[in-house]
Amino acid sequence: MKPAPTLSAAFLHPAGQSLPEPLLALRKQRGTALVDMPLPTRKTENWKYSSKYLKLTDDMAISLPAEGKTGSGLAVPGYKVAFLNGVMLPEASDYPDLDGISIERFGDLDDVEAASLADRMDSTLNSSSDKGVVQMARLNSARFEDGLLIRLKPNAVLDQPLFIVHEVNADASGSAYPRIFVDAGRHSQITLVEEYISSGGEPVMVNTVTEFTLGDGANVTSVRLNMEGENVQHIGATGVSQQRNSRFESHCVGFGGPLRRHDLQVRLEGEGAECKLNGVVVTQGKQHYDNHTTIEHVAAHCNSQETYRNIAADQSHAVFNGRIHIHQDAQKSNADMNNKNLLLSNGAEIDTKPELEIYADDVKCAHGATIGQLDEVSLFYLVSRGIGRREANVLLTMAFINELVEQIPVEQVRDTAHTRLNQFFDQTFEGA
Amino acid sequence: MLSIKNLHASVEGKEILKGINLEIKAGEVHAIMGPNGSGKSTLSQVLAGNEAFEITEGEITLNGENLLELETEERAREGIFLAFQYPVEIPGVSNLQFLRTAVNAMRHHKGEAEMNAAEFMKLAKEVSKQVDLDPAFLKRGVNEGFSGGEKKRNEIMQALLLQPKLAILDETDSGLDIDALQVVSNGVNALRAEDRAILMVTHYQRLLNHIVPDHVHVLAGGKIVKSGGRELALELEERGYGWLGIKDEEEAAANSAN
Repeated sequence: MKPAPTLSAAFLHPAGQSLPEPLLALRKQRGTALVDMPLPTRKTENWKYSSKYLKLTDDMAISLPAEGKTGSGLAVPGYKVAFLNGVMLPEASDYPDLDGISIERFGDLDDVEAASLADRMDSTLNSSSDKGVVQMARLNSARFEDGLLIRLKPNAVLDQPLFIVHEVNADASGSAYPRIFVDAGRHSQITLVEEYISSGGEPVMVNTVTEFTLGDGANVTSVRLNMEGENVQHIGATGVSQQRNSRFESHCVGFGGPLRRHDLQVRLEGEGAECKLNGVVVTQGKQHYDNHTTIEHVAAHCNSQETYRNIAADQSHAVFNGRIHIHQDAQKSNADMNNKNLLLSNGAEIDTKPELEIYADDVKCAHGATIGQLDEVSLFYLVSRGIGRREANVLLTMAFINELVEQIPVEQVRDTAHTRLNQFFDQTFEGA
Repeated sequence: MLSIKNLHASVEGKEILKGINLEIKAGEVHAIMGPNGSGKSTLSQVLAGNEAFEITEGEITLNGENLLELETEERAREGIFLAFQYPVEIPGVSNLQFLRTAVNAMRHHKGEAEMNAAEFMKLAKEVSKQVDLDPAFLKRGVNEGFSGGEKKRNEIMQALLLQPKLAILDETDSGLDIDALQVVSNGVNALRAEDRAILMVTHYQRLLNHIVPDHVHVLAGGKIVKSGGRELALELEERGYGWLGIKDEEEAAANSAN
């Protein structure tokens, strides 16, 4: 038997020493733990459909340099923080000094703050029953060179969305490890937009971790827009831990690539907490996209609502795995998960798997998954009114996701999504 | 305007239309009646260009142009409109967006400027009044959760907006109560014009009390077996189809084939 492939040692050499000592120590410790880490294969349950897309070559182990480049970024109104290759660019960032809200790069933290952060890092990605999923997130913990710590004091409210533009510049092969930690105090509010983009055409890997901790009554909205290029493998993880009566809302919009993986793990730890997770994925060509979500109802009286839609064209491949775990004490949990999928070609593949694990006896838990194609009868109805084939296809495809796109609470993101969707429609329904 | 010659059409290898001949002139209203399964709806679908049906023989021309060479959307732009027997529900596409896209596709085809959202809204509100449909319906998904009568009124509203040369009404009266029938009939009568033809496909005579046809045809077994004036419809109402030699078994057989 062939030995299982392990992570090349080349990946265990972090760059950038300008972090406070406690974070350097954390990084080192995480790196040590990754020695001989088995890489996911098709026998790894939570990478079953995606391991074949993961191609980590040694030249990708090199940290991409952040010097000498200015992030081309997206034209973003309002508050923004620009990251290039996982390192913050202060000159391209723009946000005010706000009362009760601190936005600091890891390198600027003092040792006490950094020690406190190091203690909490990875805490949201520590799912009790899902050890394998967070494996790749540990690579980020061993490699991050910079990061952003956002802290909101109790009752602090960020008055407009904060955009974090993560650009990877792929003029050479390598990898980048952006990292965000959001500590939302009691009854604080923030909307955070993460946009992942790329420039350059060499094969690179982006490995991200974003963590949110929500105090009692905190209200956090996370928007994640993944639009990196065809040369970028993206492995991202988002961890969320929620205290009493807090509310977390997530909107993920993703366009495919050679490998796209996002793990989203939410733990409802205090009574009355609720989360709403929306996701839209669009793939074409030979692209791939894999969303794995886990919602853990740890405390009683929590609500979760999850709606994901995948659209796969050409020979592309989308994966959805939605797991809901209701702990024994989480009585009166209310969980609703829905995943619908649209295949636009005979060559496309979508794999969907709802997983429910329920240990409490007084819960409401609903789930549904469907896979289908555009409805011929609806198409005929539209074209019989003189509407062109392309337009009719677009109307029906948009009908599939429009509800989710319109729910994104940031206009600029909706506009960007629409622009990208139009490109997708042009390519997919060309000649229709 | 419309000329159908020796039209044969099949679905999944089964011949449904077995040699239809029909001439419709501009300004005329024709009614096609017949028992269930006689091929009435097939004829409507074939005229609109439903690809589920295969034309094995014959020809259809609209103002001399070969309709069979045109795609469904091209036929619509040339002026063919089919009011569906079962209008399709399309959640996620608003009725307003659907109607405006259709109207603008037509305008574009005619070389006219597209209507902007505000202009179209004004027009759509006016026309919705004509068919007694609350403008709130414009914001809902296409036919989503509409009652049977509301769907039919929405079909007529589309005809009024698109101003076709030939409007084909497939069982537009089915599922309508007396009031809705009156509203729909008024809409259809508003469509009557010198340069427009209307082809009504119906199982029952009652629609013809409201929309008086110039010609009535009886379709049975995939062929037109009798044509006449409006009095033919009344005679059918009184005597059924039996006197035309259409056997009950044939209807039953045709029904089971559906």
